[in-house]
Amino acid sequence: MVPAVETLDRAPSSSAAPVRRIALIGNPNTGKTTLFNALCGVRAKTSNFPGTTTAMRTGHAEAPGHVTLDVLDLPGVYDLEIDAPESRIAAALLEGARGPAPDAVVVIVDACNLARNLVLVGQLLVRRVRMVVALNMVDLAERRGLSIDAPALEARLGVPVVPMVARTGRGLPALREALERVHPGGPGSGAEAPAAAAVSRWADEAAAVVSSETASAHAHDRFTERLDGVLTHPVFGLAAFIAIMGTLFWILFALATVPMDLIEATFAEMGTLVERLLPEGPVRDLVAQGIVGGIAGTVVFLPQICLLFFLITLLEDTGYLARAAFVMDRWLSRFGLPGHAFVPLLTAHACALPGIMSTRLIPDLRDRLTTILVAPFMSCSARLPVYVLLTTLLFADRPGLAGLAFAGCYLLGALAALFTAKLFGSTILKGRAKPMILELPSYKTPSLRNALLTARDQGLSFLSTAGTVIVAICIVMWWLSAYPKVDAPPEAARLRAAAEAPALPNDQAAALLAEADALEVKTAQAGSFAGRIGHTLAPAFEPLGFDWQLTVGVLTSFLAREVFVSTMSVLAAGQAATDVDEGVVAKIRAMTRDDGRPVFTPATAASALVFFVLAMQCLPTLTVTRKETGGLKYAALQLGYMSGLAYAAAFVLYQSLRAAGVA
Amino acid sequence: MVPPATSVESPRSTVVAVPLTTVPVGAVAKLHEVTDVDSRPVLRSLGLTDDCVLRLCQVGDPCIVQVKSTRIGLSNAVARCLYVVPEAGNR
Repeated sequence: MVPAVETLDRAPSSSAAPVRRIALIGNPNTGKTTLFNALCGVRAKTSNFPGTTTAMRTGHAEAPGHVTLDVLDLPGVYDLEIDAPESRIAAALLEGARGPAPDAVVVIVDACNLARNLVLVGQLLVRRVRMVVALNMVDLAERRGLSIDAPALEARLGVPVVPMVARTGRGLPALREALERVHPGGPGSGAEAPAAAAVSRWADEAAAVVSSETASAHAHDRFTERLDGVLTHPVFGLAAFIAIMGTLFWILFALATVPMDLIEATFAEMGTLVERLLPEGPVRDLVAQGIVGGIAGTVVFLPQICLLFFLITLLEDTGYLARAAFVMDRWLSRFGLPGHAFVPLLTAHACALPGIMSTRLIPDLRDRLTTILVAPFMSCSARLPVYVLLTTLLFADRPGLAGLAFAGCYLLGALAALFTAKLFGSTILKGRAKPMILELPSYKTPSLRNALLTARDQGLSFLSTAGTVIVAICIVMWWLSAYPKVDAPPEAARLRAAAEAPALPNDQAAALLAEADALEVKTAQAGSFAGRIGHTLAPAFEPLGFDWQLTVGVLTSFLAREVFVSTMSVLAAGQAATDVDEGVVAKIRAMTRDDGRPVFTPATAASALVFFVLAMQCLPTLTVTRKETGGLKYAALQLGYMSGLAYAAAFVLYQSLRAAGVA
Repeated sequence: MVPPATSVESPRSTVVAVPLTTVPVGAVAKLHEVTDVDSRPVLRSLGLTDDCVLRLCQVGDPCIVQVKSTRIGLSNAVARCLYVVPEAGNR
């Protein structure tokens, strides 16, 4: 039975095209996001539901009769009545408590789990919501021998029912037509709504009448069962997890490097071009180094973020991500972390930014906050050059020990994360850790289009929110490092004059000029605001064995950890270097303090190494934490706790080594 | 500590409801009671309602149960609060 046709046109826009507000709702793992992407394509954007940190996607789609659909993707919910954040948000949106109520709702129902999915349909009928039921994944149901009589279901519910496969687009035109025709009288004009207290029984009865699905627990999917036998096995499951996640991690590291290098090279070229085009002066410096450098420092994160979300979406679509959370729950729950936390923690080894953004996978807010707070302890790729430099300084001629120290840094970071999760779980984020109750969805073929659109959305979301703040921070940090300008030292002028002597061979002249450059850069760095702050704060870092130069390195690397290497190379030789080659190490090793003692003793190098493993030396990460947690509170806690722990650990280590006579 | 079995009056005879954690893999059972009040709404929304028939697909911590076509992973903390009445004919 097709319900009566009546349009729901709202006040037309200036272009006179009728606009309807449509909300998509459904249980998790029913293909809701896939349907959203199929309807809206690239005309979508990701933001947060007002007043929450729950991601919200909105987009536009066309329906027959030149009707424009404003589509809102609600969070996945099993039940509108339970006390869960997603349920509260969805119920409030349906009631119009968070902006205008939708004109109609599309309920996505998994054809393989009809009875359970009809509970939500029943609850919407009780609320007399206008709706269309999208009976999704009918192909999977057919393959399992489940047949559903869609017209009979339509008659029973009194609302349009459209069989479809969102992944392939099958049934999409029929859904668009149904949205144009959805009747405004609501379910009251169709079948009777179930009694609110008996929705579950009503759903069971409805499913039994319209489908061949039996209520027996014996009816099971042998393919899923066999695969689960391996992927959720305590031993084989863990081995599969390590293999799959290792591959994901490798792809993230290996493939993202190519576009990241390209972005850095492109922006470096742009900076050079600006320097050529604009006259020398502060405006040129601001544009070429501050603005172009700041944008480069933001855009460079995009490949990792997009690639990560692309891969995670593929894994989620296959149904494996739930199995991975199942396997890891055994291990992580001992530290008060959910099984879902493995993706953010693993990803944070590449970069904490996408790691923190991927905590959106974690359903419980407390679990999510804990994971966000500890994720930056994982050793990210930006720490690599710092580790290489400091372990090389620590164990100059003993590469084996340097390698062990390098691996120890990763271990120390991971242990600090687990220890902190346990500590926070029993103090500031006190409360019962939610024991795992997790649906293991059917295995499916993932949709590439879905993964690409999700990656694009997440990338744009990063640029439009955290990205703008990061650019601003980059500009401020550049300004602190570049100003005020100080006069070149007389020694540099003397070197330049000597280089111009006509009898001097070219190579010697070049060496003198390089030495003059180095001296000028070092003087400029020391005289800048960052240098002056370094001098001022040096006494605070003295108990860690740091002099003013190391303090400047710590301060400038607050923008990004890898800046430490370039800062130290500037201070040592006047040339910025991001790669740690032998020449750079030799120059940094030869650095001396004002009293002539070496900057890096074994105790100082060890202290600095521990400091960089544990410290929150990354402003972009703090920006993303602020955004994802909805305020400054947790970003401030993250900064204070990590910096405090890093300082305390470096202090204890340095003083212990000194007491043992190592320094 | 293994939670105790509980006696349940049924019209036909007195049956014993036992924690899910004590049921062998592959067993089919009827859900009698969920003693963890906090988890009850979520379990219900996944189909683990009173008197539903479930099958224990994998034992351990966590375990896997199946209700109709839905497979659910449960940590031991939840599973031991699910009291079930095993159906006759279980291995």
